[in-house]
Formats: sequence, C-alpha cells, structure tokens
Amino acid sequence: MRSALADSVAMAAAVLLIAVAAALFGSTSMQRVVAHAAVMLSAVLALQLFSGNSRIVSFGHAAFMAIGAYTVGILTLNAQLQHNALPQLPSFLAGLELSTWNALIIAAIVGAVAGVISGATLLRLSGSAAAIATLAFLIIVYTLLAAAREITRGSQPFYGVPRDAGLWVTALFAMLTLVITRTFRETSWGLAARAAADDEAGAIAVGINPRAAFFFPWVLSATLAAVAGGLLAQVLGAFTPHTFYFDLAFTLLVTLIVGGMGSSLGALAGLLATTVLIEVMRQVESAVSFFGLTQSALAIAMILVIWRRPEGLSGGLELNLLRRLGKQPAATVVPAEVKRANADVLRVAAVTKRYAGLVAVSDVSFEIAPDSITGIIGPNGAGKTTLVSMLAGHVPPTEGKIHLGETAVHETAAHRVVRAGLGRTFQNIRVFTRMTVLENVLSAARGVHSNVAAAEEAARRELARVGLLEQADALAGSLAYGMRRRVEIARALACEPTFLLLDEPAAGLNPAETRELMTLLAAVRKERGIGIVLVEHDLMFVMQLCERILVLDQGRLIADGTPAEVQSHPAVIAAYLGSRVAAKSLATSTPSLGAVVTESN
Amino acid sequence: MGKSVRRMSVVAGAIALALGGCGSKHDDSTIVIGVVTAQTGVLASYDQPSLAGFRMSIDEINARGGLGGKHPVKLLVRDTRSDTATTAAAAQELVDEGAKIMITPCDADPSIVAGQVTQPAGVPTLTFCGSSPILPGAVGDMMFTTYPTDNLQAAALAKHAYETGLRKVYLLVSPDTTYTSGLPEYFGKVFTNLGGTVVGKGSFSMNQPDFSVAVTTIRNLKEQPDLIMTAAYEPDFPAFVRQLRAAGVTTPVFGADALGTPTIAGLGELANGVVFTSAGCATPGSKLEAFNQQFNKVTGHLPSSAYEVNGYEIGLLLDAAVKSATSMSGPAIRDALDNLENFEAVTGTITYRGTQRIPVRSVALLRYEGGKAQCLQSVTPAASEIPAPL
Repeated sequence: MRSALADSVAMAAAVLLIAVAAALFGSTSMQRVVAHAAVMLSAVLALQLFSGNSRIVSFGHAAFMAIGAYTVGILTLNAQLQHNALPQLPSFLAGLELSTWNALIIAAIVGAVAGVISGATLLRLSGSAAAIATLAFLIIVYTLLAAAREITRGSQPFYGVPRDAGLWVTALFAMLTLVITRTFRETSWGLAARAAADDEAGAIAVGINPRAAFFFPWVLSATLAAVAGGLLAQVLGAFTPHTFYFDLAFTLLVTLIVGGMGSSLGALAGLLATTVLIEVMRQVESAVSFFGLTQSALAIAMILVIWRRPEGLSGGLELNLLRRLGKQPAATVVPAEVKRANADVLRVAAVTKRYAGLVAVSDVSFEIAPDSITGIIGPNGAGKTTLVSMLAGHVPPTEGKIHLGETAVHETAAHRVVRAGLGRTFQNIRVFTRMTVLENVLSAARGVHSNVAAAEEAARRELARVGLLEQADALAGSLAYGMRRRVEIARALACEPTFLLLDEPAAGLNPAETRELMTLLAAVRKERGIGIVLVEHDLMFVMQLCERILVLDQGRLIADGTPAEVQSHPAVIAAYLGSRVAAKSLATSTPSLGAVVTESN
Repeated sequence: MGKSVRRMSVVAGAIALALGGCGSKHDDSTIVIGVVTAQTGVLASYDQPSLAGFRMSIDEINARGGLGGKHPVKLLVRDTRSDTATTAAAAQELVDEGAKIMITPCDADPSIVAGQVTQPAGVPTLTFCGSSPILPGAVGDMMFTTYPTDNLQAAALAKHAYETGLRKVYLLVSPDTTYTSGLPEYFGKVFTNLGGTVVGKGSFSMNQPDFSVAVTTIRNLKEQPDLIMTAAYEPDFPAFVRQLRAAGVTTPVFGADALGTPTIAGLGELANGVVFTSAGCATPGSKLEAFNQQFNKVTGHLPSSAYEVNGYEIGLLLDAAVKSATSMSGPAIRDALDNLENFEAVTGTITYRGTQRIPVRSVALLRYEGGKAQCLQSVTPAASEIPAPL
C-alpha cells in the first residue's frame, strides 16, 4: 500500500510537471493539447481500473463518457442558448446553469447509477462474452442518445457548452484518477478483482464472490469515465453522440494496450507515448506539407509495440518506486500468537449426489471434529472429488445436509462457506499466477482482516509458515510447482479456517517435498488445532499422516477408522483388489514403513 | 546509462519540438489563411476535393497579385485526421501563427469547435462544405457556411416537387446523422407550406442493408404518396431503391446532393427518375463546364464531385470580400463578406447580405435517366421560403 502511494505521488507529480511546463512555456494550442491529453489520460485510467483488474476488455467506457458529457452539457448550458437549442427539454432539466464543479459531481453520480444498472446485467457474463456485452452497451447508449432528441439534439451537434475546464482542472482530475487507479489495485477490491480474473475457482476458495469482485471496479470506473466525459465536453465545447462511439472506444483501448493493460503506469505510458508521437508527427507533417504521416507513424508504432513488447510499454507492471529505490521495508514477521481454531464440527448427514442417472455419492454420513487429520481415500471413480466439491460448497448435494458449525454448507454459496471456516486447495493448483506471492495470500487475508496492516502482517506470517517469505514479491506464476503448492496452502491458511480441505496435496511432489509437506501439515494442525481433511492417492502419505481414514467405493462409505483398522477392513481390500499396485501398497503401507508408493493415476 | 540518457534526450527533444510552435513573420501585405481540414480519416473524402478546388483558386488569385489584387495569400494547411480535438488544437495553432481567415472541415461539430477558437479571435471562418444550417448560429458572427445548406436544398427540392404537380410525400429519415434526419424534415415543412401533405414518415438505420420494413410500409400505405423523399446515400440508398423497385413500387424518389456519385449513376435503370441536388449543373457552355475543364488541366483529372467547385468559389468569395473590405482586419473582412450580394460565382450567384451567414445561392436539380444525370433546372429559393434551422 505504501508502495502504491509512492507510485501514485510520483506519477501525479509527472503530470503536474507537464501541466506546469505547458502553462509556463507552451503556446495556447499546446495548453489545449495538454488539457485534452489529461482528459484522455483520465479516461484511459478509468478503463484500466476495470479492464486492468478484471482482464475484461471494455468498449463501454466511451458510453459512460458520453453520459457524462451530455449530463455536463445540459446542466451547464447558458439558459438562453439552451432554450434555443433544446426547446423541448423537460422542464426539470431546463435553465439550471450549474457551475462546472456541481455539474461534474452530478455527472459522477449519473455515471455511477449507469454503472450499477449496466453492471448488474453485464457482469452476469464473464470473459469475452462480457466484453461483447460492453460493446452492446455502447451501441445501446449511442442509439438512445441519438434518439432522445429533446434532450440531446439527437445526432446534431450539441454545442455551446461553456469551456471552463482548462489545463488545471483537467490535470487535477488526471492526477486524482492516477492516485485512485494506482491504489485501487492494492485495496481488497482490487485484489479481489485481480484474483477473480486470474482464477475464478481459486478466488472463490479464498472467499471472493467473482461477480461482486468485478462489480465494484466497474461502477467506480464508470463514475470516473463519466467525469472524464464531462471534462471532454467542456474541453471540446461541441460534440455529437458519434464523438463517443467506436472511434473513441477503440482509441481508449489501443492506448491502454500500447501502454500495458495491467497497470496504471501502462495507461500513463500509453497516453504519453501516443500524444508525444502525434504532436511531433503533426509538426513534421505541416512542415513538409505531406499528410497521413501521423496515421502511418501511429500504426507502425503500434505494430512495433505489439511485436516487441506484447505486454505493452510498461510490461503490465507498476512503477514500484520504493522497491526500485530499495526503500521497501524489510520483510519482518512478528511471530504473533496464532489463533486456535474454534470447535465447529463438520457434519455430513445422509448426503447423496446424482448426476443424471449416475450416483456419484450415495447416502454418506460422517462427522469430523477440528484438531484432527482425516484422509479420504478410494479407488478411481469412488466419488472423492464430488464429496470434496460438496464439502466446499461448490456443488450442492441432491439429498442430505452438510453443516459446518451452524452454517448449512449445502445451501450456501461457495465463497461464503470459506468465510464460515473452510479453507481449501485444488488438485490442479489454482494460484493467481499474475499476482505476487504476497498478493496471493493477501487476497485471502483481506477477507479476514479489514485492517490493511493486520492483513499484510497475517499474510507474511503464513508465508513464513510455509517457508516462502523470501519469494513474497515474486510473481506466483514464476514459481516452481512445489512452491506453488505451498503458496496455495499459505493462501488457504490465511483464510483462518477451522477446516483445511486439501485435494491431492502430494500430487506431483517429489519424495523430499512430500516429506516436507507432511511435516508442515502436522505442525500446522498442532499449532492451530484445525481439522485437516485430505483426499490423496499417495496411500503411504495418508497412512502416515492421518489418524482417521474414510474409504469411499462406488459412492458409498465402506470404511471409517484408524489407518490400522482400515487396512485390515475386508471391504477395503476387496475394493482395492481391482488395482494390483494399490492393493499391494495398501497391504504394505504401514506408519512405520518408509517406502513411497504412488498409484499411477 | 548512456542508452537511457540518449533515450531521455530524444524524448526531451520531441517535447521541445512539440511545445515550440514556430511563429514565422510574414510581410504586411501578405494574408495568412489557415486551413484546418481533414486530409485523412472519414471526412477526407469531402475535405480533400474541397481543398483541391480551394488551392486552385488561391493559386490563380496569387498569380493576379493576391486577394483584392494586392494581398498575396499564404496558405497554412493542417490535417485534423477527422478528429474534433485535433481540429481545435490545430485551429488554435493557426490563429497563433497569424491566420486572418480560417477554413474548417465539411462537418458541423469540428467546424463549431474550430469556430469557438476563431470567434473570440475575430477571425472570419468558412466551412468547406458543412451543410448544417445551425452552424453560423452555433458559433457567432464570424462563422459562415458556403455550401447549399440542408434547408436550402430541401426548399429547392420541395418547390420543384410541388411545381411539377406532386402533392403527397412520404419521408424516410435516419436519426443517425444531421443530414439524414434533418433534410427530409425541412422538405416536409416547405412542402406543407406550399400546400402539399406528408402522408407518412419512416426511419432506417444507416449501413444496414435491409429496407424490407420501410418498403412494405410504403407499399401498404392507404394513401399512396406521389413521391418519396430521403437523404439516404451510399450504401443505403442503392439498397433502398433496389428493394423498393423489386417490390413493385414505382413512386419517384427524391434525394439530396450526396446522390451525385458514380455509384448511384451506376445503378442505371434502377435510378431512373431519381431527383437530387447539386451545387451546380455543368451544361455545355456553362461556367461550371469551363471550370471542370480548367480543373482537369491543372490537376490532371476531372472533379469527382461538386466540392471542388465549392472550394474554388470560396477563394472567389474571399477575393471579393477583401476587395470591398475597409481594412485588412478580421472584422472588416467579415463585414465585407456578410454584405456580398448577388456575387457572380461559378455555379450561379451567391448572396450573404441579410442571410445570417448562410448563403442564398442557386441549387441545381438533376434527374437520373439511364445512368446519366440530366439537369432539370436551377432554383434559387427566396430567403422567406427557406425553413428556419432545426
């Protein structure tokens, strides 16, 4: 967070410097160019706030700018002029002659409302479907503006907007937007959106509701875009709905892509680069009286950027000034008292799951108390994965009930089950690859701690617990497989769960890593008294680590007991006879035996 | 380090170049005309031919010693890339560089934006072929349109329609542009004032080739119209006419100046009877015909539209205005231009006196027959017949 503030101050200072330079040394037309660039910067930043964090490309921001522009236009218009230009304007809008500031505030509110309404529908979709929906939104707004002739003059130019927003107002808003976008990505909303964009299931597993995670940045960026549109109205003075159509939507997107979609630095870099290029080429063009050079130079520059730097000029990274200057505070961990888990019990009562005709889990009942390690085993197709999905709230059971303490898991959304005390990891690791290791864990910790500092402290503590503190600032996607596994565990622990649900935690680990994992899990259980439930194919791992084992076969619970009891259970042996290797390992895996036998999956 | 210093100096140089608008001095008798027009982008197809005609007239004027015979013209041309914000910045640049007269693009909003710069600076401003009649009123007393405006064209068309005995009109509009929405409405107003009736009104979306709804509506009208008026152009107009005729509707269609293109002529028999407008009509022996030949001699090709001659006429108008202006100040030139009356241009006479800076000029009416545009007549509506801007 400190890093974000330092970055935003540095970038805002750069904008201020340019504005001051333009005011002192620039011609009137240069000041105009800078003011317009500042408005465009705000708009591109607004777009970055949504698209950069959610990874959903939006064409809809041009529409929010249009909404802001017409709002400010109508509200600030001189009453006489308004009467001539818009004789049929509804009376509650007529003759208001608001000041620029008041009009901009109302534009922000209107933008926010439009954001809420559009977001509620658009964000039910995800990925490219959502992107196409934003395109539809743009077309709808354009059509409405062109049709609402009494209010907007339709497709005719809307003119006469007082041009009060000059260099300072626009630069000031650009600076404010810079601070907002740069800090936003570090807030819990920003982390949630980035996590959900990176891996939806992973985000749910740390208690994030992916739809809600995109909703807030959408509304916030709609608000900022509406204000930017209002400022553009003031800078231009005349516009039509066409001003805010595809051309603008594409200009915003291209600028952001050239700069780097992932960061506010990218938005700044993209805008600076294109503005400087356009202005220089314009001078060259009029000096040699040959037109078309600007367009060609822009096209070539764009191709070069996409070819040489596919992540944009900024590489999608933030400035991270403090880290560059070595001013990042040393990663200290306060060995705070870890909270003991509460005494909630996980109750599974007569649970059945049917997929069409197939019965995946049939009438399974058991109870697990915290401060325990329980293994769930069974041959392939026994229903383990379905059971785990039901425990985590991802899949509702067809019949039966699952309770975690007071929470009815079977009728609760998965991300809320996490809050009730269930942390989980996945068979195929689901870390947020585009976020740093610390941010991965922080995204979970922010759900528990509302205080930023406390959350960061907790996240660092969990990283220290799994031995990854050194890698805190590395991108999770750059880590080796075994380390990612530990990031996932640290992330689950940061949810401060009563139960930790591990889906094949030892899959893909070498023997040394497997032993380390066993030690880690045993220690965590001892420290915090949480209940660990794991599904595992590595029977040696299960036998050694677990004190209780549940055996599933063809959806039924066929055995429940200590490792020793389960191994001698006739039904278990019968179930495993289908797989010779497993049957052999079942017979030979005793807690005292050191051999690692993994069933080939 | 060396690399980054070099990189920084390149950026610094670029910024310095961008910031430092070079203000060169011109001698006193020279007059600078700023031309902020779209030489690239969507408006280029209107602004490029306009500029070609304008350049030709300025070259001729300079050969005669300049505007009014004594003020050589220096043209400063800037490309707006059809971008409104760039138009404003470029207009400001040219005003800073001493432009005394400004020429703006063939579209209303960039012209308004440029006008917002030139109006307070007292620089008379003329749009190339922007035909929206709201333009002068939206900017102020420095802003002039030059091309036959939408309401003027509509008035000429309506008059012609009524005089040829047509009484009932169906209007087909598109809300997508000022031109496609406004022109038919102006037509309706004038036509009703003359005694005709509007029997129906339909709308279409531009660049959408399906006109089946509009065509079916027209075919099933209880009261069949004598003519259909629309300001649709390519690619909508060909699609509309094709579908209309395929449905067996033979009602004549009236359009506006955007129909004077090779594509529409290429419709052949389908376009038979389509009436449209133009700035002028190149009948053999006419001044326009002579201009076309001269243009061909100078540039190596015939004019592609009426925009060339309109650009050329702007040069002539300025020449006349400067000749009668009391001084070389912007307001003096403006006043002179505003007082021009019955000025003999290439396409006919042009009057600004008492017209709120919207020229009253003749509008040529043409009709397609067998893929060829035939001149019907030239109409100069009286100021009282032209409907007020919407």
